[in-house]
Amino acid sequence: MASGGRRQAAPGSGVRSPSLKAALGKYWAIFRTQLVNSLAYPIDLLGRSLLIVLFMWIFMNLWRVTYGASGAHTIAGLTLADTMWYLMMAEAVMLSKRDLSEEMTEQVKDGSVAYLLNKPFNFILYHFAAGLGHSVLAFGGNLVIGAAVVWLMVGPPPGIAGWLFAGAAVILAWLLDFCFSALIGLSAFVVEETAAFRWIYQKFLLLLGGVLIPLDFFPAWLQTFSLNLPFAWVIYGPARLFVEPSLARLGQVLLQQGFWLALIGGTVWILYRRAAARLAINGG
Amino acid sequence: MPAVSVRDLRKTFQLKQKAAGLRGSLRALWRPSFQELDAVRGISFNMDEGELLGFIGPNGAGKSTTIKILTGILHPSSGEAEVLGRVPWRQRQELAFQIGSVFGQRPQLWYHLPAVDTFYLFGKIYELDDRKLKGRIAFLAEAFEIEELLETPVRKLSLGQRMRCEVAASLLHRPRVLLLDEPSIGLDVVAKQRLRMTIQRMNDLEGVGVLLTSHDAGDIEALCRRVIIINDGEIVYRDKVSALRRRYLTVKTVDVRYNEQLPPDFALPGVEMVKVGRYGAKMRFDTRVTPVGPVIGGLAAAGSLADVTVSEPSLEEVIGAIYGQAESKDG
Ligand SMILES: Nc1ncnc2c1ncn2[C@@H]1O[C@H](COP(=O)(O)OP(=O)(O)O)[C@@H](O)[C@H]1O
Ligand SMILES: [Mg+2]
Repeated sequence: MASGGRRQAAPGSGVRSPSLKAALGKYWAIFRTQLVNSLAYPIDLLGRSLLIVLFMWIFMNLWRVTYGASGAHTIAGLTLADTMWYLMMAEAVMLSKRDLSEEMTEQVKDGSVAYLLNKPFNFILYHFAAGLGHSVLAFGGNLVIGAAVVWLMVGPPPGIAGWLFAGAAVILAWLLDFCFSALIGLSAFVVEETAAFRWIYQKFLLLLGGVLIPLDFFPAWLQTFSLNLPFAWVIYGPARLFVEPSLARLGQVLLQQGFWLALIGGTVWILYRRAAARLAINGG
Repeated sequence: MPAVSVRDLRKTFQLKQKAAGLRGSLRALWRPSFQELDAVRGISFNMDEGELLGFIGPNGAGKSTTIKILTGILHPSSGEAEVLGRVPWRQRQELAFQIGSVFGQRPQLWYHLPAVDTFYLFGKIYELDDRKLKGRIAFLAEAFEIEELLETPVRKLSLGQRMRCEVAASLLHRPRVLLLDEPSIGLDVVAKQRLRMTIQRMNDLEGVGVLLTSHDAGDIEALCRRVIIINDGEIVYRDKVSALRRRYLTVKTVDVRYNEQLPPDFALPGVEMVKVGRYGAKMRFDTRVTPVGPVIGGLAAAGSLADVTVSEPSLEEVIGAIYGQAESKDG
């Protein structure tokens, strides 16, 4: 017997198209709830923010020696202060981004992913809103503590434009990072273990994304190579914009981020559609 | 129109088989072999609007699979189902606004936050008006007797308190059908009873239909008028609970303990002695043959009672009896 032979709809069963306001309110509420949830562990939060102090201390020692040895005031157009503020922003983003891929992999493997589907929201957007709620607090903590430390080391931060431009770019950076995480997490539908992908992504960010060193310091060919990969736009883009907040650079960063978001985000969306269909067949 | 209708519903899971060792892994990659598992084998039933319907069966019977299909998170392999006039797996999101679901083994309240935070979150997710939501929360808090618990982080609540909050949360958006998958799992007798009472109350007050699964016949007996028993993916019994009670819950097991020693030849007429110890005994009798009154009277007369427990047959025993009767009828 084929299912759904009847087409007759129940009274008042018009397809519901939630207003944009209601839809946004939904994900905003998820974001806020996760934010409050993170506040349940203030010590944990503080502990992680203190990590940035250690990083900045190491970087300071490293680069002071480097700049001293080179005898130059700037390297590739960046002063020691620029470099330190760059690294502060890079680390603040790196340490605050939420790696959802592991959680997603677990949810796919133990089937609990199915239980998120009995509510009227989109699984991907749910995770993104929750991830953002998690990141914002950690980022705020990192920024306050990191900035205080770097200020003491090298003097005042970039002007207000730097903060604003970087803020916008960081949100897109989180989005981009989230797409990577989702890509890795959803691949659990195909492969058993996703840890290897996670490892590779982390290393790409570290080496080609500008977490450890501003990409400007790379040889020209490696710099070009890195800038043509998406990883640079998760870390390097916002951090570089922070210390050089020109409109031209803002445009470049947002454009690059937008391009990679469309590409990788689109892939995630397609993958998710297929994964959801599979899930409905295989169960949770 | 029934609130839930299910026709010849089947679900077969494909389990990937993998032989041991590297060779097995490689072979599985090259040519995966599947084993089929029939979780639900062609079940049909209806549930009316506002009905409290019990759906019981032992572990692995196919209860959760059925509920998952009805919430739309799982596609059936074949067959039809409609919930409130919608095909769940085609109209999952729209249906989600009209049904509520609780999976006893999958809590949905945020663990580290007070329940009320999740309530407000659900209010947004179900696109409820803020003012109405407030009233709704107050109403449910009273109905579920959780007013004092709402502000406490969920992790600090007892399992029973948590489950009452879970069910209350699933009713925020005034669903017309509530699917409860083993809400009483792990609860003690008192907590179970309290949960049942609140479900009953919501059914009385709002006429919400409830499909309630359990692997414990006792849950259903107290709450539902009609019961379906599922075993190994098939419906083996469907009738009024009173009929089930009359036909299969007639065998009582009695554990008794005395303050003084029992005579070794302790016996009661019409009662099968399973075990007789020095201070206590375990016995069984069928209420259709031996009425309860004389048995209890006999127990009291035999000495100074310390403790008596009367228990009903387990679900497995009931299912065994159902199969036994079917066979004796066929033969
Ligand atoms: N996603 C799945 N993949 C494979 N087998 C499953 C899956 N879900 C359930 N099963 C199997 O289907 C049968 C019925 O499971 P379930 O519906 O959970 O039973 P119940 O809820 O009555 O305990 C069990 O044998 C179970 O192992
Ligand atoms: Mg189950």
